[in-house]
Amino acid sequence: MAVGLQAPPSMGVPGKKRWAMVIDLRRCIGCMACVCADKAEFDVPLGVWRTIVKVKDTGRYPNTKRHFMPRLCNHCDNPPCVRNCPTEATYKHEDGFVLQRHERCIACRTCIAACPYNARHVLPRNRDRVKIGGVVDKCTFCNHRVENGLVPACVQTCLGRSRIFGDLNDPDSEVSRLVARHNVVTLKPEKGTAPQVYYIKPDRVNTEQILSQPVSYAARSDAAAFYRHNRGSKFFSGVL
Amino acid sequence: MFEYAEFNIGPWGWEIAVYFFLIGMAGMTFVYAAAPAVFGNIFGGVARSMEPFQKVGMLVALALLLICGPLLIFDLGEPARFLYPILYFHWTSPLSWGSLFLPLFGLCIVGFLYALSTNKQNWLKPLGILGMLLALSMPLYTGLDLMVNQARELWSNPTIPVLFVILSVSSGTALVSVIQLVRGQFDDKTAEFLHWFLFVAVATTFALFLGEWVTLMYGSEELQQAWTIINDQFWVQFWILTFLVGILVPLLMVAIPRCCRSAQLFTLAAVLSAVGAYNFRAVLIYAGQLTQIYY
Repeated sequence: MAVGLQAPPSMGVPGKKRWAMVIDLRRCIGCMACVCADKAEFDVPLGVWRTIVKVKDTGRYPNTKRHFMPRLCNHCDNPPCVRNCPTEATYKHEDGFVLQRHERCIACRTCIAACPYNARHVLPRNRDRVKIGGVVDKCTFCNHRVENGLVPACVQTCLGRSRIFGDLNDPDSEVSRLVARHNVVTLKPEKGTAPQVYYIKPDRVNTEQILSQPVSYAARSDAAAFYRHNRGSKFFSGVL
Repeated sequence: MFEYAEFNIGPWGWEIAVYFFLIGMAGMTFVYAAAPAVFGNIFGGVARSMEPFQKVGMLVALALLLICGPLLIFDLGEPARFLYPILYFHWTSPLSWGSLFLPLFGLCIVGFLYALSTNKQNWLKPLGILGMLLALSMPLYTGLDLMVNQARELWSNPTIPVLFVILSVSSGTALVSVIQLVRGQFDDKTAEFLHWFLFVAVATTFALFLGEWVTLMYGSEELQQAWTIINDQFWVQFWILTFLVGILVPLLMVAIPRCCRSAQLFTLAAVLSAVGAYNFRAVLIYAGQLTQIYY
């Protein structure tokens, strides 16, 4: 049962919207246009991301494959970040968005700890144009665009139409039809978060926890160095 | 092989590990200092051995609290908003409850000290009982703060709050032993009283450590990954400083009657258990975050 949320889950509730995203991985070419669009839309600073595309190679030459995995906030129907926030700075919108009130956030980073998808980050203070800093930020499903009849920036820019956005409560929407027609997969469904980003044909290497650890020497060193220098309030060498 | 991934920060660093350790220590120091007023002649009056420690214990608990509060506040990205968890109280967040209990615990310490200095004997017992409940809620809420993260299986474990309370008993006993030894007030009755607590705490930690070990070895994908990370990156803290130095050695020392009679050896055992108490928490906090960062 979902407790501690400011709005109950809207999935299947008549008269309510349940915004969701389908990511068709057969169409993703790893161009990172979604990442750039998101950076441009929100002036996302260097070193943090609202959406990313993870890349992994598998196999041995000549039998190799490159896997792309776009990742973003899953706007869960039962979000643990909302439940754990001590100030209700992060909250659930009645249409399914999981949003952040920057003016109330104390950056205790409990929501980052709670998020199974590593979808949250802390904004550094030294920003040029947008002055919001020192607080936690995340993907909003571009609610400012969606409420004005547009699709999120990453969906708008997606070259291969890999990202599709819509209302799952509307049976005629494209996302509803895709979710009904394909064997869609959500990330970590066993956590009970009811994530609302659905993937079509993802590869195991990108969905399973046991395979998530960096394998190559470079990636392992990168991860170790990142963790060493970016934990707690040492974020960005103390910029936070 | 080509791999490309971006990472977001590991949210909690050394400040949180130290805070969890010190607040547990403060809580148990309060319990020891308030024990004579709360338990009096119960259990054969053994708690009376702590009477000379009452005022010092309360002052030490207050000093630890005065370190913990700023440590926690300055770890926030927005330290000026430190009262928001109380002003915008969210009942499902353990951190909100902790933020509420922390100042109340401080008020209990101050109230107890005031009652001691003005000799208001009838205030001591109610303040002591209330303060003890709040004192135990400190390590309990820190454990709950980890436990409620269903997404992190190393933390999402009902034994974690219990473990943190037990670890606070070890670290609190260590602090009280050192203080009483330095003050020259470590008599037989004190040793008997502290020994019981330390023995139970270290033995329970040993059992919980074994439980954690088995769970990690036979656990899900995420727990197996956490097990690999612990053995790969935190093996010194986990096996040497926690298991060997912090659990096995003090357990053997408190189990040997000859060691218990010596104030110095008993204090050494207690301090070693405190080393284990810190490192056990630190490993759980740090390693628990890495599985998420990789995903």
